[in-house]
Amino acid sequence: MANPFEYNGSAVVGMIGSGCVAIAADRRLGIQGQTIATTFDKIYPMNESLYIGFYGLATDALTVSSRLKYQLNLYQLRENRQIKPKAFMHMTSNLLYSKRFGYYFVEPVIAGLDPVTKDPYIATMDLIGCPMETKDFVVVGTCSEQLYGMCESLWKPDLEPEDLFETISQALMNAVDRDALSGWGAIVHVIEKDKVTTRTLKARMD
Amino acid sequence: MEDYRAPVEVQWSPYSWNGGTVLAVSGEDFSVIASDTRLSEGFQIYSRDFPKTYQLGDNVVLGSCGFQGDVTTLNKVIEAQLKIYDHIYQKKMSCESLAQLLSTILYTRRFFPYYTYNILAGLDSKGKGCVFSFDPIGSYEREVYRAGGSASSMLQPLLDNQIGLLNQTGVEKKPLSVEKAVQLVTDVFTSAAERDIYTGDGIRINIISADGVDIKEVPLRRD
Amino acid sequence: MATDGFYLTSDPLGAKCDKKETTNMAIGRTLRPIVTGSSVLGITFSDGVMLAADTLGSYGSLARYRDLSRLLKVNDTTVAAGSGDYADFQYIARLFESLNIESDSYCDGHSYTPRSFYSWLTRVMYNRRTKINPLWNTVIMGGYHDNKPFLGVVNSLGVSFEAPTLATGFGGYIAQPLMRDAYEKNPSMSKEEAQKLLEKCMTVLYYRDARSWNKYEIATITTDGVTITGPMKLEGNWEVANYVRGYD
Repeated sequence: MANPFEYNGSAVVGMIGSGCVAIAADRRLGIQGQTIATTFDKIYPMNESLYIGFYGLATDALTVSSRLKYQLNLYQLRENRQIKPKAFMHMTSNLLYSKRFGYYFVEPVIAGLDPVTKDPYIATMDLIGCPMETKDFVVVGTCSEQLYGMCESLWKPDLEPEDLFETISQALMNAVDRDALSGWGAIVHVIEKDKVTTRTLKARMD
Repeated sequence: MEDYRAPVEVQWSPYSWNGGTVLAVSGEDFSVIASDTRLSEGFQIYSRDFPKTYQLGDNVVLGSCGFQGDVTTLNKVIEAQLKIYDHIYQKKMSCESLAQLLSTILYTRRFFPYYTYNILAGLDSKGKGCVFSFDPIGSYEREVYRAGGSASSMLQPLLDNQIGLLNQTGVEKKPLSVEKAVQLVTDVFTSAAERDIYTGDGIRINIISADGVDIKEVPLRRD
Repeated sequence: MATDGFYLTSDPLGAKCDKKETTNMAIGRTLRPIVTGSSVLGITFSDGVMLAADTLGSYGSLARYRDLSRLLKVNDTTVAAGSGDYADFQYIARLFESLNIESDSYCDGHSYTPRSFYSWLTRVMYNRRTKINPLWNTVIMGGYHDNKPFLGVVNSLGVSFEAPTLATGFGGYIAQPLMRDAYEKNPSMSKEEAQKLLEKCMTVLYYRDARSWNKYEIATITTDGVTITGPMKLEGNWEVANYVRGYD
């Protein structure tokens, strides 16, 4: 296992639209070249308008997502309100940095709407929790270069939910098709202030 | 207990990575091949005016990047071979033959490769647009479009999507126009220059048709 | 028999240095540079080219030879400025010399142009690296031919290119930005402006490059031929030294 980030293979994207955000990921779980599952979801709902997706070692992603959900439940019981995406990002960052010298091999993508202002929010961070917030898109994955090429060309400001769905789907699918370790189907969540639309995409399975 | 180790000297490498991206697209009766104009190594920009496309005939252009020492040498070898061919057969070499020649030259260095990524574009012997892409040791294939070099992984999926129309349903495949091809090349290079430090400064676009080679230069970000 | 580093041969140009001759010998290669020269600079101006190099030959961190010329007049139109291993640069100088001797022997009135010298040198450098026996230099070549300035550089791997301003080594980080900026603002600067610019760059290099020296030479190549001036002394401004605290 030379590089834990390339053991299972994955691709996650977050994108901001007009009053909405989208987060998408592929659905492959592999052990290096061998595909184990094609229905493995890498995006976890944290509340009705906040999602987190992971790139990296699947077992670590499972652990980190559970620990985050646990911390988040305690937060929401204590505060009796929904967490802001930015606060949740810091929660994630702190959890990852608490393992600074024995880290989880994951890079998360966080996407959500502010529970009060409904402002769209996306962020990503490295495996020890150094955060990066952007106003356009964030990408992580074994095909991050391909994703950057797609997103940099397809994304434009103020996309409506339907256009945002098309953009993020095309960006993800064409990127994973040039990567051997990710792909085999994809899932897209488009988060709007009154609803979340989740779609699974029909993609190349080779 | 291995408390002491002999000091290890950093191994000298006969190669360097000088960046650069090349991209070629073929149409019905034309082909377009472009490269950026940056030459760099590490965090240094050696030159902002170093196109990596080389015209080898009336309607054939080679795009070549990677290790600049090998790129220059490879070009000199090809040009020498083309001169010999011209003297023997009294004619210019066809694009298909040139592709085979390039493959053979690359393979002569199978065990000490020319560290170069090559894409050959032009018109085939029937006058149709053609693109040939190579790996550094001479494996090659004729294709409709191909990106090579530093930002190839950023450009290729976009070409799949916009020219190959992959993952698009319900769209009819219309023949590519020169204008659309040039616009697409400009757009994808602009995108690549945003994220790849080895791509930038400018684009040299060669538009190859029966009339010859038309050259267009477009600026890119210089940081 | 030399085991590490290099061996001596009675045939320094390597004319007879084919496989047969060397099979019984340890193969001699430059594993690392020994006496080294730091950055060299080059710039084109309105009607010529100017090159600059300091006169230091370093032996590791020791400033061993303080009066070495690193500017080489190749012929009446061409100058080579060498950084890197000084012995290898002297070897390159001998190669140019033999090239000139052969060229002159034809008595046809022709001589190599700056570009042809440069092009030839790129092949020497590339062929040596391909034999895994590089000449450990980065050489800037400047010249004036056909009423056009020429300025090109080649390194130990055979990477080569031409540009209106050039700097090797540390100068690539420190002098090149200054020269590019000056050149972009004034592409046809006068000889005096060019010399002033090079002097400024050499001064900044002397401040910040630990392997530099405050004596330098300048070569100017114009229609009038080659002139090498110097060595000149860099004075610099050391007023700020009075404010440095904590090291005494």
